[in-house]
Amino acid sequence: MSKQNTNIPQDYKYGFTTDIDNIKAPKGLSEETIKFISKIKKEPKWMLDWRLKAFNRLKVSKEPNWQKPKYPKINYQDLYYYSAPKSMKDKPKSLDEVDPKLIETYNKLGIPLNEQKKLSGVAVDAVFDSVSVATTFKDELTKKGIIFCPISEAIQKHPDLVKKYLGSVIPISDHYFATLNSAVFTDGSFVYIPPNTRCPMELSTYFRINAAETGQFERTLIIADKGSYVSYLEGCTAPMRDENQLHAANVELIALDDAEIKYSTVQNWYPGDKDGVGGIYNFVTKRGACRGKNSKISWTQVETGSAITWKYPSCILQGDNSVGEFYSIAITNNHQKADTGTKMIHLGKNTKSKIISKGISAGKADNTYRGLVDIGRKASNSRNYTQCDSLLMGNKCGAHTVPYIKNKNSTSTIEHEATTSKINEDQLFYCNQRGLNQEEAVSLIVNGFCKDVLQQLPMEFAVEAQKLVGISLEGSVG
Amino acid sequence: MLDLKIHSNEIDKIGKFSKEEKDYRIKNLNYFNDIGLPNKKDEDWKFSDLNAIVSKNFKKLNLKLGKSDNPKINFIKEFEHNYIVIINGKLTASDFKYEEKNKIDLKPFTNEDYSNKKENNPLVNLNHALSHEGFFLEVKENYKFNKVLVIYYFYTDDLDENLLNSKNKIKIGNNSEIHFVDFIVNESKRNFFNNIYEEIILEESSTLKNIYLQNDKSPGYFHKYTKNKLSSGSNLSSFIFPTGLKFNKLDLEFDLEGENSVCNIQSAAFLNEYDHQEVKTRVNHLYPNCKSYQKVKNVLNDNSKGVYQGKIFVKDVAQKTDAYQLSKAVLLNERSEFNSKPELEIYADDVKCSHGSTSGSLDKDSIYYLMTRGLSKKESTKLLVESFLNEIIESIKSSSLRNFIKTKLENQLKNEHKKH
Repeated sequence: MSKQNTNIPQDYKYGFTTDIDNIKAPKGLSEETIKFISKIKKEPKWMLDWRLKAFNRLKVSKEPNWQKPKYPKINYQDLYYYSAPKSMKDKPKSLDEVDPKLIETYNKLGIPLNEQKKLSGVAVDAVFDSVSVATTFKDELTKKGIIFCPISEAIQKHPDLVKKYLGSVIPISDHYFATLNSAVFTDGSFVYIPPNTRCPMELSTYFRINAAETGQFERTLIIADKGSYVSYLEGCTAPMRDENQLHAANVELIALDDAEIKYSTVQNWYPGDKDGVGGIYNFVTKRGACRGKNSKISWTQVETGSAITWKYPSCILQGDNSVGEFYSIAITNNHQKADTGTKMIHLGKNTKSKIISKGISAGKADNTYRGLVDIGRKASNSRNYTQCDSLLMGNKCGAHTVPYIKNKNSTSTIEHEATTSKINEDQLFYCNQRGLNQEEAVSLIVNGFCKDVLQQLPMEFAVEAQKLVGISLEGSVG
Repeated sequence: MLDLKIHSNEIDKIGKFSKEEKDYRIKNLNYFNDIGLPNKKDEDWKFSDLNAIVSKNFKKLNLKLGKSDNPKINFIKEFEHNYIVIINGKLTASDFKYEEKNKIDLKPFTNEDYSNKKENNPLVNLNHALSHEGFFLEVKENYKFNKVLVIYYFYTDDLDENLLNSKNKIKIGNNSEIHFVDFIVNESKRNFFNNIYEEIILEESSTLKNIYLQNDKSPGYFHKYTKNKLSSGSNLSSFIFPTGLKFNKLDLEFDLEGENSVCNIQSAAFLNEYDHQEVKTRVNHLYPNCKSYQKVKNVLNDNSKGVYQGKIFVKDVAQKTDAYQLSKAVLLNERSEFNSKPELEIYADDVKCSHGSTSGSLDKDSIYYLMTRGLSKKESTKLLVESFLNEIIESIKSSSLRNFIKTKLENQLKNEHKKH
């Protein structure tokens, strides 16, 4: 099987660029850049001070280098930290005022805002490079008291909420990339669900990096107040470019008493070509805090893109009886590299967590699951179950599992299991016999392998994700 | 923090060396001095912060060797055996009365390898720089030991904050077989630090079984690094019962350097009162068709801390590898702690690799069942702990050895039982 392992270039169907005039901040990372971003966002002084505090911290912190996928040094002075479509300068008041070219881009992406507005019932906050372009369904959400807007707007309109929660899960001193984001973040989504409210629709953001030499640093903050529920979807694409682009986002989730947040990601950033040239560096910090009793945070991720994926969506289970979940599929092909997993920090009593991770490696790719389960002294009767399965296709790729398991409580139980194998020849033969060609058979088997995770995705994403699994592995089996 | 910078004139105090050897020792000493005792920032020492542990329990470490005159040793009477006696690291006596003498070569260790590789483990560098004493044992081709060999590691009562470094090498020739027991007897009632470097070479189709055991509880701080090299068709089984030391870290590396080699590592430990035990393994599958199996069981009581760091590495050519890793821990007390990091790093696709790791309390239903049969809670716990650890002991084939180890374990549990 491995002999015929030809790398037919997979089609990255989102690899177009849109020709729009951009306003960019001066190149490089400096106090001026930060002041420029803050000024153009019309931010209050406290926000600028917060950013500068992060910037000062950044000067003394070091880029981490313990990760498995190594990358050439990033020149932070050679990046644009702010890039916005020019016509956005005067913000559109409705979709009709949005630049038709932008709308066209979204149509190519398959998220026609207008149609979606009517048909699918999904409210979209689309982030194009660094600015939220338009947010749909605002009115209906406003009636329920739900706030769903770009974070730059929230800073102006809801400063109390932002001040209270921003940086409370990922402090500005957390680690290099989180600190970088705190200093230069340009936009992102803000969600607040008031007490005892079930968000009537799935909220969604679509991220896209368009301009060359830009980094994307968005910041998402989701707060689910007591007894509320929200499901949030995130999708990502980027055009094909030869140079690597940096994406360092921060996502903070806060669930208060009895609240539940479900966060789903389909990440399909440009993975670079078959020789490993170009592609996105996806260095994202995602962390949720189950602050309240009986709260729940569930992460689901399908990672198919990016040259390097390096992220650990985590749950801090502070409230008693809180629940954390992590479902992940990470597919790497050609020269892609992934180092991803989760952290479950059990602090409250009777806390539970579940980790299901499926890693698939093909071509010359390297796929690492790295995770931490930490049960503290006071987390009595807590429980964790972890399952990590890896699938290897060919002998030029690698699959690694690095779990850290810490237990300080004798009434708590941790279970961890992991397996590594290749696709069963018998299963392949059976599928071939029933008339499926090799590629269809592999796609079917891999989809079955990932079923536990795919099931967790909301309808809208499940179909796309299943297709992505197939596309990502095209050409990896002979 | 204990500042442990060692001056190079300490090397001269150990003995006279050739220029080559002295350069090698100085180079390694510099490597060690650059880093010092490793702390938790070092990934390999993440769960065992040696710097903090030594700083807390030692005022100062001296490099004195301790006495080496023949003390009275209570030899094991339970089974017939050959023996080697090592006192504070020094080879002092041996008896191979059950074997053919010309098939065995035993002498004090002398270094021949001065390769300048920087080791990842600063304690290995420390050993390369300061090692003094140790033994070299060779079993010639086509010889099978008639009786088990017991290596008595004896530590004398004058040890007080000493830092001992010794090096051993064991070589098993083609088609030969040996079973041996590392038996640690400690007379010192004070803290000391013992740092051993060991190299074990298994030539083609040879077999080695070893058992690592302590006589009693002791205030020793032990670190042992073992490099095992397995040629094709060789078979190594290691049973580790590391109970009873204040601090013990076994860093075991296995290179499967030939096809069809097999390695089997099993460990069972009952930890008590501020005991800190770490078993760290790294199994490198470098050739096809090799097998490795690891099972590590820990029971933790009082303020004890147990650590298991295991890694399976499979090279791209090592197809048809079968590797398994299992760690199970039972926490009996709310102040005990268990950390594990079972790691897989795999570059070949046609392999069967899996691992499992669990930690938690004893099954409440089982305790309830035993109590309904008239046992007290303590007795039920003891019974369950015993059976949990016995699974490892049961896999030792020799019945006299098995019973010897069982008795040791039972005594230990009985003592605990009395105390509470």
